[in-house]
Amino acid sequence: MSNEKDLTVDADPTNSRRKFLNTAALAGLAGVGLSVGLSSCKQDSAHAPAAAAKTDAAPAPVAKAEGGKYEVPPGQLDTYYDFCSGGHSGEVRIYGLPSGRLLKRIPVFNMDALVGWGVTNESKAILGTKPDGSPKYTTGDTHHVHQSYTDGTYDGRYAFVNDKLHSRIARIRLDTMECDKITELPNVQGYHGTFPDKRDPVDAAVNRTTRVFCGAEFSIPLPNEGRDMDKPDAYRSLFTCVDADTMQVRWQVLIDGNCDLVATSFDGKLAATNQYNTEMGVHFGDMMAAERDSCLFFNVARIEQAVKDGKFKTIGSSKVPVVDGTKAANPDAKTALVCYVPLPKNPHGVNISPDGKYYACAGKLSPTCSVIQHDLVLKWFDGELKDAREAVVAEPEIGLGPLHTGFDGRGFAYTTLFLDSQIVKWNVEEAIKAFKGDKNAKVVADRIDVHYQPGHGFTSMGETKEPDGKFFISDNKFSKDRFLPVGPLHPETAQMIDISGDKMKLVADHAVYSEPHDSIIVRRDIIKTRQIYNLDDFPHAIKDAKDSGVFREGKKVTVKITSVAPAFSLPEFRVKKGDEVTIIITNHDKVEDLTHGFAIPKYDVNFLINPQQTQSVTFKAEKPGVYWCYCTNFCHALHLEMRSRMIVEA
Amino acid sequence: MIPTIDSPVARALMRYAALMLLLACLATTAGATSYEAHLPPELSTSPRMCDYVPCAEVLPGADSFSERKGSPPYVEGYRGSGDGKKLVGYVMLSTDITDLPAYSGKPVVTLIGMDARGYFTGVKVLKHSEPILLLGIPEQALIDFNHQYVGKFVGDQLEIGQSRPDEHIVGLDAITGATVTVIAQNQVMLNSGMAVAKQVGILKPTPRAAAKFVDSGAAPTWQQMVEEGSLQRLSVSPAEVGSSGAGPFIELWFGYLNQPTLGRAILGRSGYDRLMADLKPGDHAIFVIRTAGGESFKGSGFVRGGIYDRVQVRQGRDIFSFRDTDYLNLYGVAAPGAPAFTESAIFIIHGGNAFSAAYPWQFVFLGNKTDRETRTKTFVNFDREYWLPANYLQGGRPLVVKPDPTWLKIWKDRAGAIVAFTALLLGVAVVYANRDGLVRRSSHKNKWPVNGFKYVAWVISIFFAGFGLLAQPSITQVLTWFHSLLFQWKWELFLSDPFIFIFWVFIIVTVFVWGRGLFCGWLCPFGSLTELMYKVARALGLKRFQTMLPKRLHDRLKWVKYAVFIGLLAVSMFSMGLAEKLAEVEPFKTTILVGLFKRSWPYTLFAGTLLGLSIFIERPFCKYLCPLGAALAMPTTFRWFGLKRKQECDTCKACAKGCGSLAIDRDGRIDQRECLLCMDCMILYYDQHGCPPLAQERRRRTKSGLEMTRIGADGYFIPIRQIPTQAAEK
Repeated sequence: MSNEKDLTVDADPTNSRRKFLNTAALAGLAGVGLSVGLSSCKQDSAHAPAAAAKTDAAPAPVAKAEGGKYEVPPGQLDTYYDFCSGGHSGEVRIYGLPSGRLLKRIPVFNMDALVGWGVTNESKAILGTKPDGSPKYTTGDTHHVHQSYTDGTYDGRYAFVNDKLHSRIARIRLDTMECDKITELPNVQGYHGTFPDKRDPVDAAVNRTTRVFCGAEFSIPLPNEGRDMDKPDAYRSLFTCVDADTMQVRWQVLIDGNCDLVATSFDGKLAATNQYNTEMGVHFGDMMAAERDSCLFFNVARIEQAVKDGKFKTIGSSKVPVVDGTKAANPDAKTALVCYVPLPKNPHGVNISPDGKYYACAGKLSPTCSVIQHDLVLKWFDGELKDAREAVVAEPEIGLGPLHTGFDGRGFAYTTLFLDSQIVKWNVEEAIKAFKGDKNAKVVADRIDVHYQPGHGFTSMGETKEPDGKFFISDNKFSKDRFLPVGPLHPETAQMIDISGDKMKLVADHAVYSEPHDSIIVRRDIIKTRQIYNLDDFPHAIKDAKDSGVFREGKKVTVKITSVAPAFSLPEFRVKKGDEVTIIITNHDKVEDLTHGFAIPKYDVNFLINPQQTQSVTFKAEKPGVYWCYCTNFCHALHLEMRSRMIVEA
Repeated sequence: MIPTIDSPVARALMRYAALMLLLACLATTAGATSYEAHLPPELSTSPRMCDYVPCAEVLPGADSFSERKGSPPYVEGYRGSGDGKKLVGYVMLSTDITDLPAYSGKPVVTLIGMDARGYFTGVKVLKHSEPILLLGIPEQALIDFNHQYVGKFVGDQLEIGQSRPDEHIVGLDAITGATVTVIAQNQVMLNSGMAVAKQVGILKPTPRAAAKFVDSGAAPTWQQMVEEGSLQRLSVSPAEVGSSGAGPFIELWFGYLNQPTLGRAILGRSGYDRLMADLKPGDHAIFVIRTAGGESFKGSGFVRGGIYDRVQVRQGRDIFSFRDTDYLNLYGVAAPGAPAFTESAIFIIHGGNAFSAAYPWQFVFLGNKTDRETRTKTFVNFDREYWLPANYLQGGRPLVVKPDPTWLKIWKDRAGAIVAFTALLLGVAVVYANRDGLVRRSSHKNKWPVNGFKYVAWVISIFFAGFGLLAQPSITQVLTWFHSLLFQWKWELFLSDPFIFIFWVFIIVTVFVWGRGLFCGWLCPFGSLTELMYKVARALGLKRFQTMLPKRLHDRLKWVKYAVFIGLLAVSMFSMGLAEKLAEVEPFKTTILVGLFKRSWPYTLFAGTLLGLSIFIERPFCKYLCPLGAALAMPTTFRWFGLKRKQECDTCKACAKGCGSLAIDRDGRIDQRECLLCMDCMILYYDQHGCPPLAQERRRRTKSGLEMTRIGADGYFIPIRQIPTQAAEK
């Protein structure tokens, strides 16, 4: 479930969502006292329909031509990869942009019946298993996908994705587009925001991603093994750092309040997370009690020095060093591990501008977006700032329910307005001028309606130092009336907006299966995938078809099979009832795209073996009889003939 | 892309296939097809390969075979035993050498025989998995395709498509509908043959030193690269593939990417660095973009078969095909000014030691040409040379000795004979140009000053030019010209026989200067032979049997040769083949080119009859049948210099009586079209004893005791009335 939805559903299920949201927002707004901002917003939104009416008067072909410009004709390729989280489906998806074509679903925390993720021994080894060999979890909730960086931009090596449900982080290797590591974070729940660092804060030679930061939303008793369950005051949240290469947890920071989304600086010095529950409330109302929440900045070098100096403790059975980042433990800025920058209540989302200078932290319940200057935060850590709030250099009013911000590299920020169902384009430098009192500063440059209620929004290459300012995607949470009805569960909308001109142009509605939260739009030349696998990458590979056969060691039976379209090397194999059977298959086909499947009826086995790949499954042969194993992935004119009999003797 | 090492996977495939088909094949052992045929598992492992497959079938004449030897492996085939044991050639198993797959994604397991000189002796498909040969196309098509290799030299540039002799490319007919199969098979044949030929020393490995690049650090624009030749364009017009429509059928630009300056210009710095990091030693990257035309250069063959069947790279005799895994996406061209494109690719050449970017190479587009009438398709290859400009190579371009075109090679090889032959022609021309002096020196009783030269020319023409150089011009050449003029003129075609070519240059010039007689009467080998026979027979005392046709009959029959010529020309418009058969009316081929008794009897009889007749009648063939003579006679109408006549010739019949060609009519006019320039009448022209008007004048002056003046250019004694000063002035 997304945060945005949590907000509404948990509050009052009997109310209509949108009605409630408006009330809730107004309540929030009233608190901050920004009716002026509200009315000005309304004026702007009134302006938008008028513009739309004008467009209606103009002949329809104009709109059509605009749309056609972004079509990708047959035989041509998209210009961007869109790596997108799959929400509570537990997977990661790849769309092509601008076409919006779904290119791939990468199973990560979920089971996948097509490729056999959660079925094969290889995938189970990554997922983690219970003592009986079944996957430890089969559900997940992915929100944030981010790529590894080299020199401030994507390097096409890895993508990292969170699992909010079971607090796990997964790594996807981008040459095969497969998950290769999953790490469960200790001592936390509700691991939501995540972001890789961009260079090493200590070693200047390491100008690539070596850490991934993880923010935990839900506070829990520590250790969470039955103690303090009714003492919410004792619940705590931790901020976690994972090593990007080993995928081991490096350290954690105990903080006041909770974590939400995460950003990292381009110089590698700081990691940030916004915080909407400074109050540490466990109930809805409690969480909104304080007028101010915060954005937290972690001084990575100091934290790692503290770990090195042994200034940490461990929690429960976890061996992960936990340093204390609470305000009480860090009274002096000059030695503080964490800087708490106060912001209007319940901020949502923190994003760094591509020039590395500013963090935009949207207000959510405040119609503002706070701009925090990076080098002022560094100054605070040097003790040169009296108050951390001084690092806020702008706080423009931009509309109702601001959530996430993207940048175009030309000085503009694009923030999603959940309640207004709009994207607002505003100028960062103008906002800073306005904050300083310049009445003539023109902050908001443009607004555009989206349909409806956008959550995340992001720009092409906007989270790298190479933003190209071409497209903005608005991931909308509601899509009523935008698509053919398909039953009560609606698709969601990824709306594509051309931001290359002065005015934003809505150019495509891409339907997406629930529920993408965040994506990154990556230039296509950055990604370089393998065409086929390498036989030697698999320790169990059957390198020669003549090594096929049934090998028994007591009750344990290994069946080695190779495949070459349209046949498996063993036309049949025999096992006995009660055997623990492991089937290993190496696909000897070398032609790109020549993937085979291997399915066993009644044994709940189905998985794919790509060219030159080796996969295996283990199961107990409990049902005697003849079971036709067959290739499930169309491979050849004689695909239907590609079978093998598993004969289970009673 | 050309894995030339023996492949464990390929062997494994065969073993596995054997396993799989063991049961099935028990039931179908009689099956003649090699589709998924069962191969003995030992085939891939046993050193005694020929115990398991019929090696002798592909290497006829060999009765024993060695064990597998060499790397990649092959076996030697021998005839006889003991001391008489003789190496016949080599047999290789394709899968020992390359695992290149065909359309099925699996290799066609082929047994290949090659003799000790490197000529293929046999090709046998042991096993294939091509579904297309099971379903649509008879397997015989593959067998027929393979049969094309028999007798071809492994070092020739064998290519699917049309032969291009001037480029030393030997074409092979493809199998329509099975392009991937034949492309792969050709690659397998060449890889296998060359791998063994290089090992046993039939082919010398062509050492091409690897290129060492100069990185100028410049960032050339597209236009600059086009101008300096580091980008090349290959364009195919619709007409070249038998299709219609405006614009090119396909227009491709391509270039070489490993060169750092060029690679960065095309791919950008990061794209270049990334590509180079992925390449292994010996790998080379090229890019291709399509800037016009609707045809794809990728096609669809690579999808299932894994081989791109429309593009190749060729360097010398090495052909490099591309597998699916040799393809990378090319998303854009960084160089400013690059044209828009609709299809693009980066292809990797796995060149090993065989490919060097320092040397020229060709990018080949393999197209299909559709015959508009029959709709049948033939393969045509279009290629374009690429050679890195010198400034991108350390030390510039290496010296490359390009093989001469075939015609030039012949000219060089026969330089001596060409000089001698040209001397003969020039000699005759010089002699004829000085005919006035020669005929003045001759008389009707002694024609040797002229005939001496002519007889020498005859003898040289017959024996040196004719039987020696086979330089016998023929009507077929005239027909070919007509067709070339009408359709396509190819100099290479005419230059390929230097003697005929020179002869024709001579003929064309002299026909318009002096008339066809100089060739026909003095130099035509067959004509000279017939007249020489006639003259010899006369000298041997057969004169009394020798005769001429009556003039009236002759005047009718002489038109026959024109009819023959027109007839041949007309037939040739419909069928060149038939016209060439009918051109056997010329006995040249039988008499001179092949040999009188080397052909079937009708030809021998025909030529023999003509030669026999020639003993009794002067040049019967030339006079009445020769279409070549007819063809040359017509332009002779426009010759520049004719023979001289005098006023009295219209009544005097003296020359006409002696004219062997019967070219002088009753009014004394010479028919220059029939005249063979024997010079008899010209001798008479100045002969004060032979020419009646001169004889009369001579007698008058003798009687009158007048001075015998010189005979002038007008054929008369110089008049003595004239005052000397005036004469001197004149």
